[in-house]
Amino acid sequence: MFTSFAGKLSLAHAAATSSRRLLGGDYRALVCVYLYGGNDGFNMLVPKSTAEYNQYATSRGALALPSASLLSLNPSVAPIGGASFGLNPAMPLLRGLFNQTQSPLAIAANVGPLLYPTTKAQYEAETVPVPKQLFSHSDQSVTWLQTQADALDRRGWGGRLADMFHTSNTNQQLSMNISIDGENVFQAGDDVVPYFVGEDGARGIDAVPVWRPDRRAAFIALRDAAHGNALQRQYATVVRRSMDNEVMVTEALDGESALSTAFPDTRLGRQLRMIARLINVRGSLQMQRQIFYVGLGGFDTHDNQLSDQADGLAELDAALAAFHAATVEMSVDNAVTTFTASEFGRTTSVNGDGTDHGWGSHHLIMGGAVNGRRIYGTPPNLTVEGPDDAGWGQVIPTTSVDQYAATIARWYGVPPGDMSTVFPNIGRFASADLGFMS
Amino acid sequence: MKILICRLALAATILVFSGLAWAGDHVFDAGFDDHTEGPHSDAEAARFLTQSTFGPTLGEISRLRAIGYNAWLADQVSQPASHEREYMENQEAAGLEVYQSARQEAWWQAAIAGPDQLRQRVAFALSELFVVSDQSGDGSGQPIAMGNYYDLLTDNAFGNYRSLLEQVTLNPIMGNYLSMFKNQKPDPDTNIRPDENYAREVMQLFSVGLVQLDANGTAVLAGGQPVPTYNQETIRGFAHVFTGWNWANCPRDNGGLWWEWEYCPSGPVEWPNPGWNASWFLPMEPWESYHASAEDKQLLNYPAASLPGGMLLGGGTAASDLGAALDNIFNHPNVGPFIARHLIKRLVSSNPSPAYIGRVAAVFANNGIGVRGDLGATIRAVLMDSEARQLPSLASNRGKLREPLLRQTHLWRAMDASANDGRFREWNADYYLGQAALRSPTVFNFFLPDYSPPGELYSLGLSAPEFQITTDTSVAGISNALDSKTFWYWRGNPWMDPEDVVIELDSELPFATDPVRLIDRYDLLFMSRTMSAAMFNTLVNYVQGMPNVDTEDRRERVQDAIWLIQTSSEYVIER
Repeated sequence: MFTSFAGKLSLAHAAATSSRRLLGGDYRALVCVYLYGGNDGFNMLVPKSTAEYNQYATSRGALALPSASLLSLNPSVAPIGGASFGLNPAMPLLRGLFNQTQSPLAIAANVGPLLYPTTKAQYEAETVPVPKQLFSHSDQSVTWLQTQADALDRRGWGGRLADMFHTSNTNQQLSMNISIDGENVFQAGDDVVPYFVGEDGARGIDAVPVWRPDRRAAFIALRDAAHGNALQRQYATVVRRSMDNEVMVTEALDGESALSTAFPDTRLGRQLRMIARLINVRGSLQMQRQIFYVGLGGFDTHDNQLSDQADGLAELDAALAAFHAATVEMSVDNAVTTFTASEFGRTTSVNGDGTDHGWGSHHLIMGGAVNGRRIYGTPPNLTVEGPDDAGWGQVIPTTSVDQYAATIARWYGVPPGDMSTVFPNIGRFASADLGFMS
Repeated sequence: MKILICRLALAATILVFSGLAWAGDHVFDAGFDDHTEGPHSDAEAARFLTQSTFGPTLGEISRLRAIGYNAWLADQVSQPASHEREYMENQEAAGLEVYQSARQEAWWQAAIAGPDQLRQRVAFALSELFVVSDQSGDGSGQPIAMGNYYDLLTDNAFGNYRSLLEQVTLNPIMGNYLSMFKNQKPDPDTNIRPDENYAREVMQLFSVGLVQLDANGTAVLAGGQPVPTYNQETIRGFAHVFTGWNWANCPRDNGGLWWEWEYCPSGPVEWPNPGWNASWFLPMEPWESYHASAEDKQLLNYPAASLPGGMLLGGGTAASDLGAALDNIFNHPNVGPFIARHLIKRLVSSNPSPAYIGRVAAVFANNGIGVRGDLGATIRAVLMDSEARQLPSLASNRGKLREPLLRQTHLWRAMDASANDGRFREWNADYYLGQAALRSPTVFNFFLPDYSPPGELYSLGLSAPEFQITTDTSVAGISNALDSKTFWYWRGNPWMDPEDVVIELDSELPFATDPVRLIDRYDLLFMSRTMSAAMFNTLVNYVQGMPNVDTEDRRERVQDAIWLIQTSSEYVIER
């Protein structure tokens, strides 16, 4: 039978108070937007100044976007190297956000997994260790989301943040980490296990409603029996968590005062809409710290890159812009930071009508707390066989994912002294703060 | 501990009085001709059929007990394949529109009603290795060609891995999915170099994997770290090998000029004439002018590699380079343990012992008469291994989570599901099960083979791949899908349409009056008699408490028993 929701919360609250970490009644959330397949950042943010554009165009040949089609960016401070840039023509809304005053959108240039700062000479001489299994989808997505490329486990930095912050939440039943796109490495922690909801919210088990108490009791007895096999226990744990949280989440969403911001009816639009709704009911869920995960596939553009990537970027553009508008509507835009992740960028060289697995790539950071209208880090030289090319157009990152993530984590509340707990390798890099967060 | 004596006594009493046929092996054990290899009980037979088919039925349990594993396997290997292409072409000939839904229908037809159960089950396991998907790429518009690809897996389920690997490589569905199709040699003038997609995934996912394995499938370590099987140079070498392949029967009247390569049609005539897509059904064909012949190609390098240093020297043709490269992969020592591990995980257990993998890999390496890559012998080794045949203890944590699709096929086979016209219009199982044949979101299948969920399993170092798609939402979704399939879609329900697939419950109703017999029957059919005494008693007591006045009451007893079993942790984790 149900324990009352309020009753559970007060119990959890009492238990948690003694160990609560920092903070008053403020709210902070991170949203990881994962682009599956390896988004071609070098075709998302493209140089417009002549010399840099020519490098890009020479490398990309028939796949190069015409300079005139690029959506010009007007950064408040020139990026390192001084080049001018434009966004892919599929991204007009994000261009608008970038160029506005009090801009909520920044770009981090050429980010990727590294073990140490690595130059081309070091890479070729193999004098600096590099992450294992570079260029493999499954492995590089793990190293990206762990943000500790020599780790042996599958814990992500969102999970480690949650391990650190989850006791801040009044509600100790609902996981601090919620995914709308299923299992992921980013949100897996030691103590905190992510909770999964669908685009339409939580889902209940229809056959065991409270008005079928006998069947429900039998179901729960089978679920909660002392199982002798660890896999059985794991399954029972998932079912128990699903049922307990479903009641809570559905109750909260049912009591929502609806947002007026319209979301595109796309895969990513529906996922981000659900996140906006969960943030909208953060008060009744009594959540002060949350980390969300959404995903969009289709970026592994070995073929048909020009049309396929444009489709993906257009979906990203519309969904992110709507999500930002929703955070403004809820007056939490300063409390919610959204960022992209993707296992790798793509080669500057081409294979005909597509590109292959690369290494570094450009990424977006969005939110009211973002020091927007700037391109942070060092845009790479896009020349094939050029100074940043590890070979065949795989561009060596000039910023490590550790630095990118640590910058976000510092804003989220990780004190400097704890930074190396969340990012064990951060000390290997010049700076733990790229400056794109206020 | 099960209170077996008590159950038997009860059951035997009832049997005497009712005169009903009962599937209790404890009663019939003495009447069976014992085959030395087994099965020695109905429970053993049911457990074997759970691993080797889309679900046991009482009829198949009896048949297997009557003929024994060896004869059953021999019979299954000799069964002709049920083909998806043929099924869909028959629909097309009958004037039906054929989409990917028709391919799903063909899959369910074979899974539920096909006599070639073992072949189909192995093909499904292979479809989760040689992954293609209708979720992306041009193949999504080619349902019959995708069915033809699945038939390739079915036809080769007991064939040779080397031959299967080549057929998969040259199939246009795979060619399009992993972009080997129209992959071309380097062109320095336009900065074009070969596509690496197929080169990478054929090694990482279909054959050798990322790290060197010993004969038991355990990663070889150097300095505490796994040793990579290949590097970027190897991928570039294979990328060059896989160049120069285009549709079969391309017109090359002008000697193979670029526009002939680029605009070669997928058939002799243009859409929508019949035959416009004929080449989707034929192996891709080589064009030497687009093949990277000149370059030396770094392939896999391993101690017994027949190519010195793993280097394939320039000068080969598209076909000779492909043959040499696939031989180079096929003979790598990783392939046996890699394939053994995959098949064991799909059919038997998520955490096989290294010795079990080693025994199966040894058969892959040599089927007993010196042939490497014999999948039929490999499958037999997977199923007949003592670790597969012996029920593992609970505490060993052996077993696996049943794939969502297999939970529904289990129900439908056990309960003899059908529609009036014999079709299975199960077109979108992925909507509610999160899984359907050739419908994975990416080439990485629905789950990764080493996935381990955060929590106890991870701490124990246990993998449980299927947990990757077992989320808070999916456990509810699958439970609700089985709910509607059990409580709603039954034969005789007046709300059902004739084309709905419905389970047959009438034959179950006589058992409903006695909960002990009812639960025992389903313990056998659904759980190979692995149900704990606690679960047995919970179910018996619950069913006992349900009304038993009329047919409707008895049907509800049956339905509740089935649904509660199929959504329980003890059932979902197959041992």
